[in-house]
Amino acid sequence: MSALLLITLSLLVSGCSGGAWLARRSAGPVGVFNGNSRQEPALSGQGRFLASVVDRGGRATLLLQEQPSGRILPLRHFQNRQPHSSPSLSWNGRYVAALVQQGNQRLALIEDRANGNLHRLPLPSNRTAVRLSLSPEARQLAVQVAQAGQWRVQLFDLRSLLEPDLPGGLAVQGGGAEPSP
Amino acid sequence: MPQPIVPLNSRLEAIGANRDPALSGRWLALISGRGGREQVLLLDLERQQPIDLPGLNRADAQPVSVSVDAAGERIALVRQLEGRTELVLYRRSVQSLQPIPMVPSGVARQVQLQTDGRQLAVQVSRGGIWQVDLVQIP
Repeated sequence: MSALLLITLSLLVSGCSGGAWLARRSAGPVGVFNGNSRQEPALSGQGRFLASVVDRGGRATLLLQEQPSGRILPLRHFQNRQPHSSPSLSWNGRYVAALVQQGNQRLALIEDRANGNLHRLPLPSNRTAVRLSLSPEARQLAVQVAQAGQWRVQLFDLRSLLEPDLPGGLAVQGGGAEPSP
Repeated sequence: MPQPIVPLNSRLEAIGANRDPALSGRWLALISGRGGREQVLLLDLERQQPIDLPGLNRADAQPVSVSVDAAGERIALVRQLEGRTELVLYRRSVQSLQPIPMVPSGVARQVQLQTDGRQLAVQVSRGGIWQVDLVQIP
């Protein structure tokens, strides 16, 4: 009996040290989108929103969902600009940043879900954007670019462009608002 | 119009090749170096200084994806080591490294740590399909 207890305890402890006991779940189905493939996850500050890239008719498409319900939230400015990649969210999910295709260029876009505005990040023509990271407060944007065969990371100051999205702020529920004048 | 942050960009330029940036709070985590000699780098953007990460980088490990929380305390890392891909959580204050196994088993590719550090999202390949797992971290 005591040996059994010891074995059980040792299994529990080894499980704990390995992290197997951590609560986890799948991000779940991708709604109306085809297949189950989901890539490039990005959580908002407290995990209320999850952005990811899913396959939609063979095109990599940005999907924004509330968690844990999986409710899909509309995005106004990303349609017809696939393939999408590298989504990134601010603290309360107000800002959604991602790379899109425009002509033969990859372009960094930031959608403000509170007022419907769209912000573009122009890059010099000799640099191709590969990956983004929006700081949670939306003060900075880090962009990985390919330049002359090398990867570089460059930082941009967004403070003159965006209102901050601070911890404790209200989550933007609907999205897809009409752009403000 | 977004403005390039010139001093920090110069600093990054001096470091050399770098990729997979992850911003959170005053921190920028990224993977720096070339080919098989890449390592995780944590920059304090206020002090514009790299931060020591004892016990995180290994010469025989290839970092794949990295993320940091807003406190700069927790770093989630996907890396290849001895032919395997693993997800680990590094706690900077205690310099500890905790493996986080994929359950059910799968191959991790990209990780993002929630800003408050209490959950991570990881892209996992299972049976040729990419899925996303959400893992709570106490």
